[in-house]
Amino acid sequence: MNTTRRGFIKRAGLATAGALTFPYILPSGRLFASTGIRKADHVVFCLFAGGVRNLETLQKAEGNLMTYTLPGTEAISSDILAGMDPLPAATGIPLQLQGSLFKDFRYKSGPTGHFNGHTTAITGVYTNTDLDIKTNPEHPTIFEYYRKHNSPSQTALNTWWVSNSLGPYPALNFSKDANYGAIYGGNHIQPASIISLGGYNALGNPKVFTNTQVTAAKSMRTFLDNNFANQTKAADAGVTNAESEAAQIEGFIQQSFNEAVAGLYNDPWNLGTAMNNDMYNIFFAEKIIQRFKPELLVVNMQDVDIAHSNFTQYCNNMRKADYALSHLWNTIQSTPGMANNTVLIVAPEHGRNLTHNSLVDSYGRYALDHTNDPTSREIFCLILGPTGKVKQNTVFTNPQGLGESIDIVPTIADVLGFYSDIPLSYRNKMGNPLTQAFI
Amino acid sequence: MLEYKISKSVILPSTLLKGIFVCFLLLAGVACKKEKTYVYGVNDVTVKQEGANKPSVKTTTEFISIAYADIFGTTISANDLTQLSLLYSAFGDKKLMENLIIKNFLNAPGTQIPSKAQMLQNTEQFLKETYTKFLNRTPNEFELYGTKNIIQADTTISPELIYYGMLTSNEYRHY
Repeated sequence: MNTTRRGFIKRAGLATAGALTFPYILPSGRLFASTGIRKADHVVFCLFAGGVRNLETLQKAEGNLMTYTLPGTEAISSDILAGMDPLPAATGIPLQLQGSLFKDFRYKSGPTGHFNGHTTAITGVYTNTDLDIKTNPEHPTIFEYYRKHNSPSQTALNTWWVSNSLGPYPALNFSKDANYGAIYGGNHIQPASIISLGGYNALGNPKVFTNTQVTAAKSMRTFLDNNFANQTKAADAGVTNAESEAAQIEGFIQQSFNEAVAGLYNDPWNLGTAMNNDMYNIFFAEKIIQRFKPELLVVNMQDVDIAHSNFTQYCNNMRKADYALSHLWNTIQSTPGMANNTVLIVAPEHGRNLTHNSLVDSYGRYALDHTNDPTSREIFCLILGPTGKVKQNTVFTNPQGLGESIDIVPTIADVLGFYSDIPLSYRNKMGNPLTQAFI
Repeated sequence: MLEYKISKSVILPSTLLKGIFVCFLLLAGVACKKEKTYVYGVNDVTVKQEGANKPSVKTTTEFISIAYADIFGTTISANDLTQLSLLYSAFGDKKLMENLIIKNFLNAPGTQIPSKAQMLQNTEQFLKETYTKFLNRTPNEFELYGTKNIIQADTTISPELIYYGMLTSNEYRHY
């Protein structure tokens, strides 16, 4: 093409001015778009619920233990029925009918350990036996992919990891990968420790400073920081929230303390003694959803892991996890901004062995471990979402397995529209988006 | 005439060159004169950015126990340390958690914080003691000047706020 210097400058100038003057504003209010088109503006991923076998979930070997999720009225096995806590009877449409169910999902590789399973689900890459539980994962987490590649980039306030226990789990909010790391991490919270009597005693009575006082203290801190060469590195401080957003989170924690002190958390779902740790974790995740409306939230439940020593309580806790899951979906669907604009993905981190161990509970049932046998790799994945976006009442089956744990991260990235923005070198390590579930 | 001109033209540059050389020597003499150093009112001070001597980040338990000792003048109990360490690990933003811990310390009974009158009575002494207490060093002249200015420019600032600012600074996180 023939061009003159003057013509080139003119065209370049017009193009730049156009880009500055007319940025593309999406209907959702986002300025500029990632390469992909969003299927929804929010994703909630629930790790369900500490190692469950398809035998007791989808195949209903002990009756329908998940009446809120699975259709059917199969009675619970009479020999363990007395060990079940009373829960409200399920009403409404079972969750399965509101989305797509992958019946033959697989955790195909790596040890069937809880942390391995969580790490795989959150990074989209299978772990090996050398997984170091004392440090952050080797591969980037979904939180980092989201914050680095979503456009426009979002703060940590928009992405949460709500874990129901400590141990290695807090380390899953960002990785050691040099191209990602803490600056792209998600906020992690373990509510059971913080919103507790011990938490309240230690953190519930902070000095309240006025705005003027905060400014004065900040001037001192800024002066000191400006004269200190060795600034705190991102990884030292964990995930860092901007000052105004940190203040919002502090306010949220303080409000939670106040509500707990007022007795509002004693039995928030009116379930009496049935309320367990999983339910509290979901309850708190709902608080975060209602307060911050995050675009990405990952929450887990783990109380079914009592199966190592008590099969009957494993079934009982599965029912509670089912109830909590339904409660979570109802909260999402009744939260303005997230209702009909959220995809909920549900998957266990792994299954459990076909063969029981030697422990027997008071109902005469043998307990179950999870030690890499084929049954401990059989799981399911349920994807719920808006009609018109997610296929409703659809079941995918394939004896060889359809879908794997490593498909969840790319699926989340695809739903939020930034999957193709992830560098190929990283995408190649993951599975694939579960596009079958979407219209 | 022509000859004269020629001889003049030869002689004249030579004279000029000599003159220029003399001028150069004079100028060089002036230029080489030792420059005088003037000191206007204050002495020179060496100002360097601190931090080179504090390369390590305090661990969670170090941070909590040192902050407690600095604020209360006593050792934190093992139970309290365990509880706070647990809470620390239960939230991903460590800065936010440190801020919460410090604000709760500052609001608890038994804090050892000088009064505002003490601070204003001898601000320089207060600052030197505060730097030594929290940062294990004396402030340099620039820091003393800067922090004194902060205190003198704001009548609402209290020792508690100075403590709060210091305890949440980057340097306090290091040793």
